[in-house]
Amino acid sequence: MKVDIERQIQQSAEETAGKIRDLLAARKVFAVNLISSPGSGKTTLIESAIEALRGKKRVSVVEGDIETDIDAARIRKHGVQVHQINTRSSCHVPPFLLLSALDHIDLDATDLLFVENVGNLVCPAEVPLGEDLRVVALSVAEGDEKPLKYPLVFKTSDILVITKTDLLPYVKFDPGRVKAAARAVNPRVEIFEVSAVTGSGISSFLERIEELCGRKTG
Amino acid sequence: MHELGIARDILDIAVAEAEKHGGCRITRVDLEVGVLRGVVPENLAFLFGHVAMGTIAEGARLAIEEQPARVACEACGPVEARGFTIACPACGSPAVKVEGGDALRILSIDIDDSLPAREA
Ligand SMILES: Nc1nc2c(ncn2[C@@H]2O[C@H](COP(=O)(O)OP(=O)(O)OP(=O)(O)O)[C@@H](O)[C@H]2O)c(=O)[nH]1
Ligand SMILES: [Mg+2]
Ligand SMILES: [Zn+2]
Repeated sequence: MKVDIERQIQQSAEETAGKIRDLLAARKVFAVNLISSPGSGKTTLIESAIEALRGKKRVSVVEGDIETDIDAARIRKHGVQVHQINTRSSCHVPPFLLLSALDHIDLDATDLLFVENVGNLVCPAEVPLGEDLRVVALSVAEGDEKPLKYPLVFKTSDILVITKTDLLPYVKFDPGRVKAAARAVNPRVEIFEVSAVTGSGISSFLERIEELCGRKTG
Repeated sequence: MHELGIARDILDIAVAEAEKHGGCRITRVDLEVGVLRGVVPENLAFLFGHVAMGTIAEGARLAIEEQPARVACEACGPVEARGFTIACPACGSPAVKVEGGDALRILSIDIDDSLPAREA
C-alpha cells in the first residue's frame, strides 16, 4: 500500500531561521554568521572586533565547534557574553542549536552578535541562520582558487575577508585572482584584506561592520 | 556528513506515518531531492539503510528523484541547471538568480500490510 506524505524534510531549518530573524529584529540585534575553513582566523577576527568596538557596540558571541569550549574560553577572556555550542556529529551550526543558544545570551544587552560557525567551507553555506550578514574568511595560506572550488559559500556571503596577509611573502597566493574569482560568483561581494598580526586592514573591515550594525540597531 | 541527519529525519517521518497505519513494514520510501541540496544520493541511501536497521524500515528501498534547478537569467529568462551554477548555462552571465532545485521532500512510503509488524 502506498501512503502519500508530501512533507518537507528539515523544513524546520528555514522555519527556525525565520524565528531567529524575528527574535533578532525584535531585540534589535545585528547578527553576523562567520564561516571559513578550520583555522582561517575566525576567532581571532572576533577577538579583534571585541577590542576595537569596545564602548561603541555591545558584542556577544556564539561559538560553534564540533567539540570543546576552547574558542569560548578565548572569547570569555575579553569580558563579553559568550555561549559555546558543540555540534558533535554536525559539520555546521544548525539553526535549532543557535535558537536555543540565544536563551543564554542577554539580547537586550547586545548590539552585535557574532556566530562563529564550525570550520568548514561547504555545509555552513547551505544552512540559513537568520543572520543579517554572512562573512566568509579565507586565509592566504589556503590557496587562491578556493572561490572556484567552493562557490556556494562565496556566492551567499556579503563580505569576503582575506586573512593572514602578513604571510603573503611566504605563500603562493594572488589576492587579485581571489577577488576576481569571488566577484565572478558574487558580483556584489565586498572584499577586505586583513592581518591580525600587523593590524593591517582590520579597522576598515570593522568600520564597515559597525556601520551595517548601526543601520539596524541605531 | 549532513546526509546522516537527513537520513534520520526521513526515518522518523516514515516510521511515524507507518505507525498511523498499524506499524507495518516499510518497503520503499520515495523522496524528492533538489540538485542544490548538496546531497549525494548514494550516501543518503547507504546511511538510511544504516539508521533503519532494527526498525520497521529495515531493508526499505530509498527511491530518490532529483529535482533540477532553474536559473533566472536577466538576458535569457529561465534556464534549467543540472547543479549549482554560478553563471547562466546558456550565456555565461553571472547576473543570475537560482530558483528551485532546493527541494528535500518525502513524497510517499510503501508499506506491506501482508507482513506482520516487526518489533522496532
Ligand atoms: N600569521 C597570522 N596568523 C594568524 C592570523 N590570524 C589568526 N592567525 C593564527 O591562525 C591560527 C588559527 O586562528 P583562529 O582564530 O583560531 O582560527 P579559527 O578560524 O577560529 O579556527 P577554528 O575555530 O578551529 O576553525 C592561530 O594560530 C592564530 O594565531 C593572522 O592574521 N596572521
Ligand atoms: Mg575558532
Ligand atoms: Zn543567460
